[in-house]
This record gives sequence, structure tokens and C-alpha cells, in this order.
Amino acid sequence: MRVVWVAVVFAVVVLASLTIGERSLPPQVYLDALFNYDPRDPAHVTLLAIRIPRLVAGLIAGAALGLAGTVMQAVTRNPLADPGILGVNAGAAFALLLGTTLLGRADEAIVAILAFPGAALASAAVFALGGGLRGDAGPVRLTLAGAALNALLLSLVTAIVLVRQESLEVFRFWVAGSLTQATTRPLPEMALVAALGGILALLIAPRVEALALGSALSRGLGTRPGRVQAGALTVVTLTTGAAVAVAGPIAFLGLMVPPLARLVVGHNLRKELAVAALLGAALLIFADTLGRILLAPQEIRAGIMTALIGGPVFLWIARQVRPGASS
Amino acid sequence: MNLQAQDLSLGYGDTAVVEGLTLDIPEGKMTAILGPNGCGKSTLLRALARLIKPIRGRVVLDGEDIHALNTRALARRMAILPQAPLAPEGISVADLVRRGRTPWRGFLSPWRDEDAAACAAALEAVQMTDLADRPLNELSGGQRQRAWIALVLAQEAPLLLLDEPTTFLDLVHQIDVLTLLRTRNRDTGMTVISVLHDLNMAARFNDFLVLLGPNGLVATGAPDTVLTPDNLDRAFRLKAQVQPDPVTGNPMVFPL
Amino acid sequence: MRPVALVLVLLAAVAAGLLYGQEAVSVAMLWDGILTGEGPGALMIDTFRGPRVATAVGAGAVLGMSGALFQTLFRNPLAAPDVMGFTSGAGLAVVAATAFGLTLPMPLIAAVGGLLAGLLVALLAYRPGHSTPPLTLILVGLGVAFFTSALSTFLMTLLPYNEAAEAQRWLTGSLAARDWSHVAQVWILGTLLGAAALVQARRLEVLELGEDLAAGLGLKVEQARWGISATGVLLAATGVAVAGPVPFVALMSGPLGARITCAKSGTGRMLSAAGAGAVVLVLSDLAARAALPGIVLPAGVMTGILGAPYLLWRLSREMERGKL
Repeated sequence: MRVVWVAVVFAVVVLASLTIGERSLPPQVYLDALFNYDPRDPAHVTLLAIRIPRLVAGLIAGAALGLAGTVMQAVTRNPLADPGILGVNAGAAFALLLGTTLLGRADEAIVAILAFPGAALASAAVFALGGGLRGDAGPVRLTLAGAALNALLLSLVTAIVLVRQESLEVFRFWVAGSLTQATTRPLPEMALVAALGGILALLIAPRVEALALGSALSRGLGTRPGRVQAGALTVVTLTTGAAVAVAGPIAFLGLMVPPLARLVVGHNLRKELAVAALLGAALLIFADTLGRILLAPQEIRAGIMTALIGGPVFLWIARQVRPGASS
Repeated sequence: MNLQAQDLSLGYGDTAVVEGLTLDIPEGKMTAILGPNGCGKSTLLRALARLIKPIRGRVVLDGEDIHALNTRALARRMAILPQAPLAPEGISVADLVRRGRTPWRGFLSPWRDEDAAACAAALEAVQMTDLADRPLNELSGGQRQRAWIALVLAQEAPLLLLDEPTTFLDLVHQIDVLTLLRTRNRDTGMTVISVLHDLNMAARFNDFLVLLGPNGLVATGAPDTVLTPDNLDRAFRLKAQVQPDPVTGNPMVFPL
Repeated sequence: MRPVALVLVLLAAVAAGLLYGQEAVSVAMLWDGILTGEGPGALMIDTFRGPRVATAVGAGAVLGMSGALFQTLFRNPLAAPDVMGFTSGAGLAVVAATAFGLTLPMPLIAAVGGLLAGLLVALLAYRPGHSTPPLTLILVGLGVAFFTSALSTFLMTLLPYNEAAEAQRWLTGSLAARDWSHVAQVWILGTLLGAAALVQARRLEVLELGEDLAAGLGLKVEQARWGISATGVLLAATGVAVAGPVPFVALMSGPLGARITCAKSGTGRMLSAAGAGAVVLVLSDLAARAALPGIVLPAGVMTGILGAPYLLWRLSREMERGKL
């Protein structure tokens, strides 16, 4: 029953995102634009060149971050794990920025590939240093490791931006992602990568669930913790990298989605993952749409909207968790 | 220093742990509070030390409600050693003991000779003068506990409350700590109130026992009047025989 | 004793801060400037590097002292005002004041922001009937830091381009274009608040022994804790008002200072932290100025690059000791 509600919410959000905007479009324009595209009609252009790519980018990035957050929280047993908070977003975005700075804006797709080594390095670093791989990392430890990584990368980015006299726009990209540049992003490629990450996540889900019971018990259940963790890090890298390449760093989405997904389907990681992808996409598109209408005609970046919504959620969760090591 | 509990009800939130308890702590004596886990021993001690507010009733020190007293004035008359005090990292014994002089020092007042004398006397009393410069965390458990006791002795209050001062110590160090308190009590007339677990140890070192049970106060008085098979049954649901200690003559409890 | 070492290091740092930068001046030139009040040496001292270094000393000292206050109060080396969101609260207040065109004195705005953030952390971490473990405070503080940073970013999008760029630089923590009024501001406020902190050092020493024992020693625990916290937040805000929310100076200074001076007493640790904070900020600023030819980086970039690895190292150490 609850799953139906998720689907309804998802559909409503998608429709709202297509219809709400500076220019309001009559319903038959949508059908016309799809089946009878006329490049001279500004309404058709708005729809196909702006709103639909933006929606698709939101779907890819949101679903990917929902998956990333769910896997991270499951494997670290930490309700505060999120690609943004733990610095994985920042790692991917830093690599992207470095690529743009060094290679110029040569080819968006080639530069986008850099997001993956960035995400991989950052997630490996934060998990190793924050004790996430021991499976008993207290929430404070992991979160602080993420904060340290974020601060370090922020300092480096500031230095790069100032040294290269880059514009503030570059900086804003780094601080908070948005869906406005969707048309210039390699959407199909990244959709594929995110989907690969999702499939891998579904494959390893039962092992991750076993690992969550503690490494001793999971060995008894026949899993090898090292392999499962490597698999989980791969999922996080693929999904976060794809999300950042599409939309830039979007924080707190991966934090909010998993508890909601658990509310819908209970403790069953495979189902959680499916619902998390749907909810993540819905939430990001919702945040983006809200950002378009709140201060219209000015737009608030989607990444800022998710941070404004997610900040209180973080605080709410932080109040509940028992700090210290969980073992 | 006359410490009394008058119609005292204690608890956390809505649940009362102790209800309607009236108690007169004998002056200049050693008193132990005994009872099974969860009966409110520590809660009672914390109320006597003004660490918690009673739901009803009051704790009276020399005729005055302790909650009406000035905080520092109270600290000069009553010292408390909680069960698990926190040691700052790397602190030496001497620096720890110095902090016991807090109630005697004003905001900006310098370290005076009498403060130094009190600390020296406290270290002497626990026989730790030689170890004064050693860091606390390098000492054994028994030595650490004596250092903490030196801190509250340096406070020079005529009334000392201790929450389970022997719990984490082995038998030899338990006797060591209790002997130290007994000696101090005999030499200076200091009133000592402690929460203890070991009934035989309590009987041997104390003049006055307060026995609590699951339904409140069971008995108060001298060890041989309190530690009776009947009282033990009511407090602990423990069938026991009580025999005089062949050496000291104190009552000894033998569970059946 | 060792305190002398810290004083010497600080003097050396100040001298280096005056002598080096994009262009080095010679000791003789500087000395000449001090004696005659003329020439390039005097220009360095009066206008360029003098106020900058003096501001860095003051801001570093107040931040360091604030860090030591909170680290001792919460008995945790991670509980620094820059980790717990107090400095980003102060930063948010300044950005908000700029965005909404408020023209109040900077220290006042920063103080209000810092105090509000501190209050928010205290309120959110508080649960009736439970004592609040320091780790919960740190976690809630991190959340407040995230949220206030997000709000700062949000407000920056409302600002016109130039002001946004300026706000961004300021939020990184920068000592660029400081003049003697900044110096006076941070030194006067810092001295007053520092004195208040030192007066409370004895209470802090007692609080360190745990609430119960502190109460037994005649301390009004709640009152003392609020007093110390307020002093700490105001110290941090004083630093933020002149240097921006430079990251990690408060976090690093307490342990660093205590390590150099071996101070054990509360007063000694406060002063050591202040000295270490001054050294860290002066040297970070120097490194940020001199590292790249032709480019002056904000000091906050350097403290971030220094502080983040320190925080990670500190985490792994606390982890080994089983405290996290």
C-alpha cells in the first residue's frame, strides 16, 4: 500500500516539475512537442531542450544518490552516512573541477569520467580514516572524518579558484549542485553508470545485510567482509560519481532517503534500494521545482534546497543516535 | 554537623525510588548505607549531598534545609566523592588534590599557606606524599582511589559522603580504603557516610548502618541490631545466618 | 621552563610574518623603519604587514583560547567551536547582515550569530532527564555547522556578483586589508574576554572532575558551565569578526599549546592555547601569502589544509584509545 503512495508522489512531482516554470504551457503542447516537434515553436523548445533534460538529470542524480545513501548507511550501520556529509561528493566534484581547470572545457563527457576516481578516492579515504570499514564506526567518528575531508577539499578548491582566477560560478558549482546545466551533461552515459551501480547494489544486498550484523556473525553466515565492503564502495563510487557528473554535489539527499525507504518497506535491503531510487529521484526533482518557484524569477540551486531541507533532518537524527562506538 | 533526612521522597521523573524516609545520621560516626541493587542507596546519598532535589521532604544540616544553603558554604561543611569522578588527562596527584581547596578559595585569591598545609595533610593521611608528583593514570586502582580521597580530605569538611568507594577494588585495597576512613574518623571526628556493597565489610568498619530494601527503609542502628536474619530477608530476600566474627566480634553474614 | 619556548616561537613567527611575503624585506630595512618611521620598512610595519600580523596574533589567540575552553569543558579534544558550528554561526550572521544591508558593528553581529548557534546546539542536544554526552554535542554541532553553511551559501546567491565574491573570500577566513582599527578591536575585546576566561579557569578545573564532584566542591555547575560557554563563544566570535571563520585554528591550538608548554593548570592551558593559536594563524597567513608568486591566498585555505589532516589524525588517535 505504501509503495503505491510512493509511486503517486513520484508521478505528482514529475508532473509538477514539467508544468511549473516561467512559461506556463497548455496541456496539448506536451503531446505536440513529443509527437510533432516543431523547432520553431518556443514552447516545444522550452520543453524538449530545457525541462525534459532537467527532469532526466534530476531522475538520474536523485536515484543515484538515494542508492548511494542507502548502501552507505547499511554498510556502516550509521544513520548519518551520506555522500555529501562524508565528502564523497566533494571528492568527485574536486576531480571534476581539477579536470575542467587543467583540460579546459574540452569534452564534458571525458571530464565527467574524472568524477569516478575522485569519488573512489574520497570514499576509500573517508571510510579508512573514519573507521567505516571496521563496521563499528561511531557516527561521530565517521561524520567528523567527512567534515575534515570536506574542509580539506574546500580549501584546495578555494586555492584553485583564486589561482586560476576562475569565476564564482565555478565555485558555486562546487559548493552546491544544480540541474540547470542538464543539457550540457552526458546524461545517457551517466544513466548507464548509475544503473550499473544500482544492479551491483541489488546483487550484493543480502551480503551487506549479513555484514550489518557484525563481521564475526557475517563470516559465520558465509560472507567475506572485505569483498562486500569493496563491492559497497564500488556502488558508492559509481552512483555518487554519476550524480556529481550530472548535477554537481547534492548533499543530504542520501541522508534523508534511506529512513524514508525503510518506513515504506521495512528492513529489507533490496526493496529499500528500489524504493530509495524512486524516492531520491522524487525528492531531488521536488527540491529543484521548489527552488524554481520560491524566489521566482530567481532560482535557488537544487543542492542548496536539499541542504536546507536536509540540515534539520540531520539534526533530528543526530539527537537520537547514541554516540560512541556501536559495538 | 547534624545531618537529617525528613520525610524524604526521591526519584527521577514520576517514579519514586525512596518514599517518606526519615533518618538521623549520628555525628562523628561512620555510617554505611546498604541494600540490594536498585533500592535507591546512591539516590539517597546523592540527595543527602544535594546533588538531586527531593520530590518531597527535605535534608537538614544543623537545622537548615541544605537547598537553602549557599553552595560554597555547604561545600566547606560537606564533601562528596562520587562513584566515578573524571580525571583530567595526565594530571598529577598533587594537582588533583589541590582542586579540593576550591570551596576555600575566592575568585581571584592566591594559593595560601593554609591551602598548601591542607593538601600536605591530606596526602599524608592517605600516605601518598611520596607519590604526589606522579600522574594519576600511572597509579594502581587502590592508589588512585586514595588520591581521590585525598582530594575530598583536602576540602576539610567535617562531613564526608562517598558513593561506593570500594566497588572497583580488590579485597586488600577495600580494607585499605576503609581503614583509612576509619582512622580519619577516629582522629578528627569526621562524620563519614558511604554507600557499600559488602555487608561484612560494612559491619566491620561502621558504627551505624542504614539498610534499605525494595520497599524502603528496613532498619537503622548499630551493625548487630541491623544485620539480623529477619532484616536481611526483608531487604535482600536472602536467607542467611548471622554469627559474630571470631576476631572482632562484629556480626558476619553467612548466606544459606 | 617551556613557556619560554612558546614565547620565542611566537616572536619568531611574528618576525617572519613581517619580513616575508610576496616580497621579503631585510631585517635592516625593517629595523630602520622601526627607528626612523620612514622608508619601506616603516611602510611594511605601518600599513601592509604590521596590522595584518597584529590582527592574526589577536584573532589566533582568541580562537585558540576559545578552543581550549570548550575542549576542557567537554573533556574532548574534538569539541572546538569551529567543529561545533559556533564560528560558522558567526560567519552566517555576518553574511546575513551584508545581504540584508544591516550596518551594525561586525563584532556585535558575529557575537550574536555565534551565541545563537551555541544556544541552538545546546537546545537541540538537550534532552530532559538525561545528561548530554559531549559526543552528542559535537554531532549536533556538526549538524548546525552544516546547516549554517548551507544558509550562508543560500544567502550568497542573493547577493550581487561582487559582494558574493567578497563574502566568499571572507567566509574562507582571510586577513587581507586589515588596518589598525581591526587590531585595536580584536586586542581590546580579546583582552577583556581573555581576562574573563582566566578568571573562570579555576571553575573549569573543578568542572573537569565531573559534575557531582564539582557540585560537592561548592560549584554551581549549571551557572559555571553557561558562563564558560558564553565566554568561549564570544572569544570565538571576536576572532571571526576580524579574520572570518578560519577553520581549525581553535581545534589545533589547545593540544598544540599544551604540548609546547607542558602546562597543566587551567590558566596555563588557556594561555598556551592563546599563544599557539597566534602562532598557527600568523604562520598560516604567512604561508598563504608567500606560497605562490603573484597570488595571495586567504589564510583560511592554509589552516584548512593544515587542520583537516590534524583532525583526521586526532580521530584515529581517539579511535585507538576507544573514546569514539
